[in-house]
Amino acid sequence: MRQLKFLLATVSIALVPPAFADDRPVPPQAVPASTAIPRLASGKPDFSGIWQTLSEADYDLEPHAGRRDAPPGPGVVEGGTIPYLPGALAQRQDHFARRAKDDPRLKCWVLGVPRGVYYPAPFQIFQRDRDLTLVHQFGNQVRTIPTDGSLHPDADNDLFLGDSRGRWEGDTLVVDVTDFNEETWLDRAGNFHSDQLHVVERWSFVDKDTLSYSATLEDPRVFSKPWAVNVLLHRRRDRDFQLIEDYCYTLEYEHFYPHKDGK
Amino acid sequence: MRRTPFSLLLLASIAAAPSVAAQNAAPATQGEPRRSKEVPVIASGEWSGPRTADGQPDIAGFYSNTVGNHGNFTDPQAGPPGEASEAAKLPRDRRAPSRVSDPADGQIPYLPAARALQADFAKNFPNPTRPRYIEPLARCAPAGVPKSFMWHGFEVRQYPGVVLFLFDSGWRVVRLGDGPRLAPSIKLWNGASRGRWEGNTLVVEVTNNNGKALFGRYGDYMSENATVAERYVFDNNQKRFNYVATFTDPTVYARPWTATIPVRRYTAADEPDGWNFDVQKVNAPGQPLRYEHVERICAENNGPFGGGAVGVPSDGPVIAR
Repeated sequence: MRQLKFLLATVSIALVPPAFADDRPVPPQAVPASTAIPRLASGKPDFSGIWQTLSEADYDLEPHAGRRDAPPGPGVVEGGTIPYLPGALAQRQDHFARRAKDDPRLKCWVLGVPRGVYYPAPFQIFQRDRDLTLVHQFGNQVRTIPTDGSLHPDADNDLFLGDSRGRWEGDTLVVDVTDFNEETWLDRAGNFHSDQLHVVERWSFVDKDTLSYSATLEDPRVFSKPWAVNVLLHRRRDRDFQLIEDYCYTLEYEHFYPHKDGK
Repeated sequence: MRRTPFSLLLLASIAAAPSVAAQNAAPATQGEPRRSKEVPVIASGEWSGPRTADGQPDIAGFYSNTVGNHGNFTDPQAGPPGEASEAAKLPRDRRAPSRVSDPADGQIPYLPAARALQADFAKNFPNPTRPRYIEPLARCAPAGVPKSFMWHGFEVRQYPGVVLFLFDSGWRVVRLGDGPRLAPSIKLWNGASRGRWEGNTLVVEVTNNNGKALFGRYGDYMSENATVAERYVFDNNQKRFNYVATFTDPTVYARPWTATIPVRRYTAADEPDGWNFDVQKVNAPGQPLRYEHVERICAENNGPFGGGAVGVPSDGPVIAR
């Protein structure tokens, strides 16, 4: 198979030069290696790799000056602030006051969608034609995004990560996420949602080592209108970099094991 | 003449063919027993089944062991300490053999001090008076090596150069071929894995073990000094594999020893059962029936359950980062 593919690649390169003779769009395979994005054999963008945000989104999605528990950040919310309904804004302010104790991240729980994506820890994407698998270093968070045309389940699920179904719009992966519970927060500043949350993500390459990620959130119980966050995700290119499991919730009891004499 | 688009189409259609075939390759498995005392012999040898685009034997799918859970490592169908099963009353040869396939007596060759620690755990497991007598899986810890293969069913996914295991309580990325290793000082619940394919056998070296997961409710264990040499021997009938793992740890064992865990595959021909095959139907009208895992959580909703498996709900911060 490998040899066959190599042969085909040779053939396709050999056929490319005539395409440069006019102004037709340059096919992806002919783009110079420095700017070409990785693609699966099927031609779809290949997001495989280890990614991480450099943004301050997880500290506070909204614009904020530096404070004791957060570096300053310009904000990642389109339009600046989250359009809370009045009652929900009060709850957000209550969360903010109690954030040092009540942020679910402090218990290493599943962070949810989209928070897991812009949480400042790496995650690895494994990709096949039929799905993408996101394995997050933090906690035990494994999310599958099917791209096989399947639909959300008929059953009402109540999930930390929600139920993701992806589809391709050109080179953009569009993911519809529903079936959430109301256990997760959106950041360390207490921004939150209800179980009516509906997220639409858009994933696309900026260049081969950078992804543009946006998520539109709607939740009629909490927000007055849909709103969106935008962050960049960077490929972790540190030498020999790999995910190191960080289940994290084991930290409070792991010292009891394995057996130790008399302790 | 638009030759370039044609060549792209050709490339795409030919390259896509193996993955389509792979999804349909698994033979129906409904005749395989979900639970049995037998441990079929599967010989290492050539692989005659389908392959992934990068040449690996294509074994992606759902799996679960066939002799019993982690209640009892060396007498897998006899039940955990203090909760002997009905089968425990039967003569020993009416139950599945010990998972210890070497030495022949079916016992882990502990050094005396290590045996005493294991026995102390087993004695205290039914009525734990100290945190260290609680089985870590009951607290949502990753089941680790090898207990992940004795717990709920699991899924295997394959990618170029990677075999990915998705367990009920954690994940393992097995990178194929030589490559960078983690510093030995880093100790992990699931260790760090490097693998290669030899015919029908996935050979994996597991280092960086923290030894904390234990092997089950009798407290069998390895320490952070252990290495595990795993062999996943896949049957060419594509319905089973045997997990054969040799444990080496001079600080706990008198000599290396080997465990064998028989595993069967689950396909769309099998009914979900909430344990071995814990899946939901994919909502894909007009397409053939297939199943998918739902998200796995544990720390988020853990509570006490039976048999000394005391859950520890977490109500305070675990981290300060």
